[in-house]
Amino acid sequence: MSKELKPVNNRIFTQKKSSYLMDELKLIEQAQRGDKKSLAELVKIYEQTVYNFSFKICRNKERAEHTMQETFLSMVKNIKQFSGQSKLSTWLYRVVSNHCLMLARNESKYGYTSFEDDDALIDEKSIADWKVTPDRVTENNELKKILDSAIEKLPADYRVVFMLRDVEGLSTEETAKIVELSVPAVKSRLHRARAFLRNELNKTFFEEKMDINKYEGT
Amino acid sequence: MKEHKPNCKDVMIHICDNLGEELNSSKCIEIKAHLEDCPDCQHYFNSVETTIQFYKKYNVQISEDAHNRLIEFLGLKE
Repeated sequence: MSKELKPVNNRIFTQKKSSYLMDELKLIEQAQRGDKKSLAELVKIYEQTVYNFSFKICRNKERAEHTMQETFLSMVKNIKQFSGQSKLSTWLYRVVSNHCLMLARNESKYGYTSFEDDDALIDEKSIADWKVTPDRVTENNELKKILDSAIEKLPADYRVVFMLRDVEGLSTEETAKIVELSVPAVKSRLHRARAFLRNELNKTFFEEKMDINKYEGT
Repeated sequence: MKEHKPNCKDVMIHICDNLGEELNSSKCIEIKAHLEDCPDCQHYFNSVETTIQFYKKYNVQISEDAHNRLIEFLGLKE
């Protein structure tokens, strides 16, 4: 049964995707000719993605808004140079990433987390069944604080890779292009980021022996 | 050249390295066999997956005010 359905679904998906991309290309062309409405439309299409991604890197709503504004300002200023060789979303992710990394470097509050010893990041002893489902995370402020605090300890270069690859769902190759790293370097950062964040959260869900049921967000 | 069967540490490293990738590689098949019989590694795998899911589901919505400020900032107000 799935054999019959799969190609049909794939074809519909491809058609939807290609018509969506055609619409976007049209908007870009019109924006490149100076059409403000098309520019505003492009902003509308991507503002939620850009704001959300900025927040995920900056972990601060004010900074996320500032980054979003700077990102779209860059898009408005440089739309004529956009060649269409990569997706507009890829280009926007790159601008956000660079802006957030620049802010983080200026603050230079990072660097206290040592990732030199890969093996030390794998903690074989503190293994527990977390018995927690992440479905209601947005309803639980205590859990949100825990997640913010864990990721703020992760250096921004690692955070960007983790967010692009694991959270936004880009491929390793796309992530590598955006952050201008090799694929092995992206994989290495991803490995460390996953292990580090897991260990940080494990401190709450296992080592501190907190009641994990309260994070279910009833 | 490693010929030995993967131990828990190998499996945990592999989980962080290749979560959801290269599922049919020979190493991955060995890892999956270990995972099936090892509750600790299953918990580790689940905890890494849950970590990612937490951050995936933690989203923020742009407010109408922030949208209006953006449009004004860009000079795109009609």
